[in-house]
Amino acid sequence: MDLLSFLLVQCLNALSQAALLFFLGVGLTLIFGIMRIVNFAHGTFYMLGAFLGYSVVRLTGSFWAGLVLGPLVAGGIGAAFELGLLRRLYGRDDSAFLMVTFGLTLVLGEIIRLVWGVNALQVETPEALSGIVFLLDEPFPVYRLFLAGAGAVMAVGIWQFLERTRLGLLIRATSQNAEMVHALGVDVNLVRSGIFGIGCGLAALGGVLAAPLLSASLGMAGNAIIDAFVIVIIGGMGSFPGSLLAAVLVAFVQVFGTYYFPDFALAAMYLLMLLVLVVRPGGLLGKEA
Amino acid sequence: MRVSRRTLMQTAAVAGFAGTARAADAIKIGIPVALTGPLGGIGAQMRQACEFWAKQVNAKGGLLGRPVELIVEDTAANPATTVRKVQEMVERNGVRLITCIVASNEALAVVPKLAEWDTIFVSGDNGDGRLTGESLVPNFFRPNVSGPMGTRAVTLWLRDSPMKKFYGIGMDYAWGHNSMEVFEAEAKRAGKEFLGAVFSPTGTKDFSTYITKIRQSGAEGCYLVLAGDDNVAFLTQAKQYRLGEKIQLLTEQVDEMGINASGDASVGLIGGSRYPASLDNPANKAFVAAWKAEYGRLPQMFEGDQYQSCVVMQAGIEKAGSIEAAKLRPALEGLVVNSVKGPITMRACDHQAEQPGFVVKVVKVAGMEHPVPQVIATYPADRVTPPCNKMVYTD
Amino acid sequence: MRAFVCVAIVLAMAPLGLPLFAMTLLTEALILGLLAMSLDLMVGYTRLISFGHAAAYGLGAYASGYLLLHTSLPLPFAVLSASVLAGVVAIGVAWVCTLAKGVSFSMLTLAFAQLLYAVAFKWTSVTGASDGLAGIPRTAGPFGMTVLQTKNGYYYLVLVCLLGAYAFCRSLVGSPFGAVLRGIRENEAKTLSLGYNTRLYKIAVVAVSFALGGLAGALYSPFAGFANTELLFWLFSGQVLIMVIVGGQGTLVGPILGAAFFMLLEHVLSEYTESWALFFGLIFIGFVMFAPQGIWGLLTRRARA
Repeated sequence: MDLLSFLLVQCLNALSQAALLFFLGVGLTLIFGIMRIVNFAHGTFYMLGAFLGYSVVRLTGSFWAGLVLGPLVAGGIGAAFELGLLRRLYGRDDSAFLMVTFGLTLVLGEIIRLVWGVNALQVETPEALSGIVFLLDEPFPVYRLFLAGAGAVMAVGIWQFLERTRLGLLIRATSQNAEMVHALGVDVNLVRSGIFGIGCGLAALGGVLAAPLLSASLGMAGNAIIDAFVIVIIGGMGSFPGSLLAAVLVAFVQVFGTYYFPDFALAAMYLLMLLVLVVRPGGLLGKEA
Repeated sequence: MRVSRRTLMQTAAVAGFAGTARAADAIKIGIPVALTGPLGGIGAQMRQACEFWAKQVNAKGGLLGRPVELIVEDTAANPATTVRKVQEMVERNGVRLITCIVASNEALAVVPKLAEWDTIFVSGDNGDGRLTGESLVPNFFRPNVSGPMGTRAVTLWLRDSPMKKFYGIGMDYAWGHNSMEVFEAEAKRAGKEFLGAVFSPTGTKDFSTYITKIRQSGAEGCYLVLAGDDNVAFLTQAKQYRLGEKIQLLTEQVDEMGINASGDASVGLIGGSRYPASLDNPANKAFVAAWKAEYGRLPQMFEGDQYQSCVVMQAGIEKAGSIEAAKLRPALEGLVVNSVKGPITMRACDHQAEQPGFVVKVVKVAGMEHPVPQVIATYPADRVTPPCNKMVYTD
Repeated sequence: MRAFVCVAIVLAMAPLGLPLFAMTLLTEALILGLLAMSLDLMVGYTRLISFGHAAAYGLGAYASGYLLLHTSLPLPFAVLSASVLAGVVAIGVAWVCTLAKGVSFSMLTLAFAQLLYAVAFKWTSVTGASDGLAGIPRTAGPFGMTVLQTKNGYYYLVLVCLLGAYAFCRSLVGSPFGAVLRGIRENEAKTLSLGYNTRLYKIAVVAVSFALGGLAGALYSPFAGFANTELLFWLFSGQVLIMVIVGGQGTLVGPILGAAFFMLLEHVLSEYTESWALFFGLIFIGFVMFAPQGIWGLLTRRARA
């Protein structure tokens, strides 16, 4: 493999990884930015998405249906949880949210185990995306190109949503001054439930997209939550462009770091996190907490 | 009266008892097994094998005329929990015999305490070479295949293969490194070239970089020492990169859970198997038939291996006439058991059972939902079992 | 003071009345209680939420385990040295972490703890990597005392450590130092403007907290006979934080109860059902909704009513 094709392949590997990390991180940072809640259950929603994707594919044979239904169901569950439980806790200190979302992680995780069982379940890549392309003579899976593309589309989509739509405006306003928004006659509670639901839905979307690469398994949540935290911390809690930047940065560091220094693969992410935090305690693009 | 799961288990196991002894005389066997968490799938298999065996035994009048009672506890594969649960079984329930521990690091935490507990531990699937090597204690017995034995079977098969150059990828912890060391030593002794290995942290989700390295190595075969989610992720992604078309993937153990989760991605994989259900001997045929009658499917690898361990325990108890460690230990040493893998011998020198090794290839069979492992080579016990207390071979 | 002496006497008599296995559980509960109490100094009294307290426990456990395995140091000295080591390391960690405040501080503690986990996972010669250290012996005490090698002897060692640490913490939070900590908790800016170097105080409390948490870990590894990387995992850090909150933060006693409660609950629930995690989670959610002051809050409220 010559240098050019090597670089090309690795960059695309990194971009596809970045896409998955972005989906994980963006939901968490949105929830924190708007609601100041650290959602411990974020990894479990990611896992839920993967299992839901498996079931939808089994029932309907369509991966695309899974991409839509999985996040919708997961987002619905998230919004319901916010409505039923989280809403009563506003005004309490952070430790209350920590405990409740930790409790949710346990409950949801066990429900998933009861429903889907202990074994890992395979999710097939959709027919249209299961081929390979040849980049300068090196085979590269089409699905990963799709992932990188989906990540880019999503990033642009969310950005436009936040900047251009009314709901996006409401979200941004609520994150800056919830009382004022309330005074203007907007049901802030509804916005909050919506945000929590959207955040969980985005995590689940990440899970559905990751499933053909990893298969749906019970160990997914634990890994995902720590990855999500790292992305959000490096990017800056509450910063949407920060999570995008962090996802790309972490993915590139991991891909090239693992290639040249495989011994440090485990520590690489945390070293990066430490480095960023020492230089900029609020994260790369975050507001200083 | 509180109906705990333990009480229910007791009733279930003893209910099948076709004898006259009271439940209080039951022979208690401790099952500290990981039922939740990432290793829960393996734990479920091992527990099922124990329950099956206990039921069979009780239906025929029990052991030494007493019913067998299984005390099952969930350890979630956390060694701290395992030690605590076994301690409770010993102190509160009077257990003197344990089996069914899933992870080697749980086993390594328990083993130093066996003397203090005066308890015998018969392993069901713990493969770490050190358990019969430097970490051996008198109360530990291993009827199952160890990691080095699995690697050995594969490298014996490689001696007859035209492939010359090999690369490796393993999980970055004890088992991954140990197995890779054994593979490297064996490959070199078989006259093959070992080009190097890379280790991935447990929980790696994206293997694209590792796949690139394997591709670049110029190897004809790649030895995988991966398990669980990592194994499934690697196989799935390797298929997406069409890695198997260029390089033959070899592995230490081929298990059904990995195949089922990766589907077609595992077709063509060649590796060791601790227990292939297709073995053709009277003991196994009877076992498979009874298992199918009970559960409607073939037994899987961990189920078969744990069942063998239960049969060994049974033979030892019957010979000793007791479950006390002082009597059971010498009874197990040197014991020959007619197992589902054929006759096996529990060595006295290091408490490892001498048994044959099997190499399988994963193939797609028409009519079956998932691919299946097919035996392509069998090696006799004396070629596969390492010398006493060692993890390296000399021939 | 009276309550303290009563409790001490009751606990001291435990080996006379309790069956063997209950003593094992109680010893471990006291060790975890010490760990949780040490975290309360940071969380309850200074509002420094740490997601990395498992690092203190793991450091203590590995250090004492290593010393007991490779040197012939008497057990109490090994335990003490490990505790001091944890405190010293904490000074360096705290120096970096206190560069940030609030959530960023918490995330830095997480980063450090995970880094320590990664190091322990790879440093085979010292930590045994993924297998950890096994077969840790309980060496004879100074002057050849063997009492600590018995079950009850060890229980008394743990009890003495816990009672001593409690007395120390109680006097610490009641002292002027403690007053500054509370000032930092309520309003750091104001405390700063009053002329206190809040950062130094924060570093100090983290060091003390780690030293006591390290003491707990150092007591654990000879008790269980092993130390492994699970003790450093972030999930365990989260569990210790839960113990503090469920028990009642800022009370020193609450977290000890919280730790015992957590351990017993997990143990008992897992006996009854495989789905113990489900009930565990529901109970936590229940605590948040209905008993925000934690167990200690429930107990003291009822006493007052």
